Amino acid sequence: MREKATTLYLGPQHPGITGNMMIRLKVEGDTIVKATTEVGYLHRAFEKLQEQRNWLQSFTLMCRFCVPETDPMEESYARAVEAIEGREVPERAKYIRVMVLELARLASFMLWYGGQNGSLGLYTMGQWSVGDRNYILDLFEELTGGRVYHMYIWPGGVRRDLPKGFEKRVIKVLNYLEKRLDDYDDLMFDNAIFKKRTQGVGLVDKKTAIEHGVVGAVLRGCGIKSDIRIDDPYEIYDQLDFEVPTAEGGDIWARALVRRQEARQSIRIIRQVIDQMPGGAFYNQIPNPLKWTLPKGDAYVRTESVRGEIGLYLVSDGGNKPRRVHLRGAAYVHAVSLLEDVLIGENVADVSAIMNSLGTCPPEIER
Amino acid sequence: MINDKNSQKIVDIIQNWARKHSIWVLAYGTGCGAIEIPPTMTSRYDAERLGVRGAATPRQADVLLITGYLTTKTLKRVIRVYEQMQDPKYVIGFGSCTINGGMYYDSYNTIKVLDKYLPVDVYINGCMPRPEAVLAGFGKLQQLIAEGKANGAAEYKANLEKYRENQKRVIPNWIMPEYNW
Amino acid sequence: MNDIKAKLTEHIKANFPGAAEKDFKGENRIDFSIDKEFIPSVLTYLKNTAGFIHLSHITCVDWLEEGEFEMIFIIWSPTDKLKVFIRTRIDREKAVMPNIDMIWRQANTYEREFREMFGIQFIGLKGAKDFLLEDWEGPPPMRRDFDTAAYAKDAFFERPGREDALDVREEIIKRSREEIPGFAKKYSR
Repeated sequence: MREKATTLYLGPQHPGITGNMMIRLKVEGDTIVKATTEVGYLHRAFEKLQEQRNWLQSFTLMCRFCVPETDPMEESYARAVEAIEGREVPERAKYIRVMVLELARLASFMLWYGGQNGSLGLYTMGQWSVGDRNYILDLFEELTGGRVYHMYIWPGGVRRDLPKGFEKRVIKVLNYLEKRLDDYDDLMFDNAIFKKRTQGVGLVDKKTAIEHGVVGAVLRGCGIKSDIRIDDPYEIYDQLDFEVPTAEGGDIWARALVRRQEARQSIRIIRQVIDQMPGGAFYNQIPNPLKWTLPKGDAYVRTESVRGEIGLYLVSDGGNKPRRVHLRGAAYVHAVSLLEDVLIGENVADVSAIMNSLGTCPPEIER
Repeated sequence: MINDKNSQKIVDIIQNWARKHSIWVLAYGTGCGAIEIPPTMTSRYDAERLGVRGAATPRQADVLLITGYLTTKTLKRVIRVYEQMQDPKYVIGFGSCTINGGMYYDSYNTIKVLDKYLPVDVYINGCMPRPEAVLAGFGKLQQLIAEGKANGAAEYKANLEKYRENQKRVIPNWIMPEYNW
Repeated sequence: MNDIKAKLTEHIKANFPGAAEKDFKGENRIDFSIDKEFIPSVLTYLKNTAGFIHLSHITCVDWLEEGEFEMIFIIWSPTDKLKVFIRTRIDREKAVMPNIDMIWRQANTYEREFREMFGIQFIGLKGAKDFLLEDWEGPPPMRRDFDTAAYAKDAFFERPGREDALDVREEIIKRSREEIPGFAKKYSR
């Protein structure tokens, strides 16, 4: 007998939802037959505001696009401005940028560990990983002055040089985290509940992935090797030695396996960067920001974040303000049309785990 | 029943003492400030030792934490959530953007002064406020509760018409249940 | 990479009349300007035949002075490591575009956003009319002639500043007895 379909509103206020969005679910029993996302709860009109600010002022809005990992946006903006202007970046700044980007990645993975387990009701991991994330945030605080918003990767380089002995403190934190990542594995990947709740859930196959333009760990979770850091390298990623992990299956479990390896690769990259860090200038000074104009032109840059590829299209009309800024985060493709497709046939209880696994970040969708 | 003034005072003191030590925060991340809530709740800062912990639904919660900017679309939901909450209830405005608009002062979609729409008991400033600042904000709220000064809900009830007028100014399509006051 | 670019240019110029290319020498990027009628067919060709399987970005720029919107489709080929920009200009007053969400499904999200933010109509686009905004009555807000600051001032309350807050520059002059330009020169980069 067919059960009667009911409509269920998940969010915007819901403890399991990552961020502030709503999904309208049509359910039969507890199986989803239709899902419609509704976003827009966090629309602050960034792109409009950036057209009102000058080049440096609009930079401060950049990191606020998505909070779990703020540096890739700054990096994108800085690189786009440099591409339009033709500004050189000192070698040391490139190394520092990569270090900051990878530390941010690591911090974001820590948050993901907590979120992915928390969405399945396993709260110990959140206490561990979010607590350990504070050590990375402490490093950021020392380097940039802020825990969450850094505004550190400027057009032309980075804002400050590394403090004395900073590398040593980074290594110390990395050593600690490396040990902790093994603990996390014991808690997470040896856990029968986690296995049972994630294997075969939230399936994204190769065909769907290409049809939807899926990026990042979700794409690598279906066995396709793709990473902007390798495919379209920026800064010094082409000189570094690291691997792009992939997994077969396309379910939450596969994506978790990918991210587990990626966290270790980030540590590996930071160690290399610290070993090879050159000396010299860290900043190619920009002119007076109030009078700073860029030549006519456009640039499209892509950066790899934890959620996947971020694309930023920047247009200058020769004035002191951006003509158009358009950022497209990974969540923009994952959490609207793809999520609606993936949720069909799934269980209501798994919705938040699937959302977390796809890297849903509503502020990035709505901007 | 207690009728005389002094006994009522004693009851109030005991009541406020009890309320002060169990602040349950509604798990509703309305803005980007929600990113500093997990660190506040987890092992290093451990807000639970102060009696601060998350609550899943509005009817169980005591504190509505407005973590950051409110778009007009979210404001509508937040008002509804606030009106569903049961006494005692308090509002904490978190971040510069709830105080004066912050970075989004000229955005067409975010409100700038939260206390025109909801009664705010404590503001925490900063973008982003650190977990220490969040804990200090909760401490201030506890102090106000103990002194019996956190009367936002009573003020809202008394000036409901004024608040409604402000709310309807930014929410043109007002389809909301009228809760029983 | 240059022979791929040349092959692509040749094919597109032969099959789509009016197409113009702009090659970015030394970068993995090539731009094509194409009439809007050909957009679905050129994208289908790029995806199915030429190996450009990843739609990286769709964006829209409002050229208010010229009375036109510019739509840009950025497509990436993972095998050739090449970015192709497909550009087209449409009239600002009668902004109508062909719909491409059957080629890439995520295009639906972009198109819904552009419909709301720029007022561009896509032929046969499905999905709810409201995407980011709710009960919005003004003009499409991302158009350049919409003034967000004036709207915000009119629609929302503002917190008055401190009463003792003075014009900072006057204060600085008073304190340092110095002209503003000299002061600015001293403290700015």
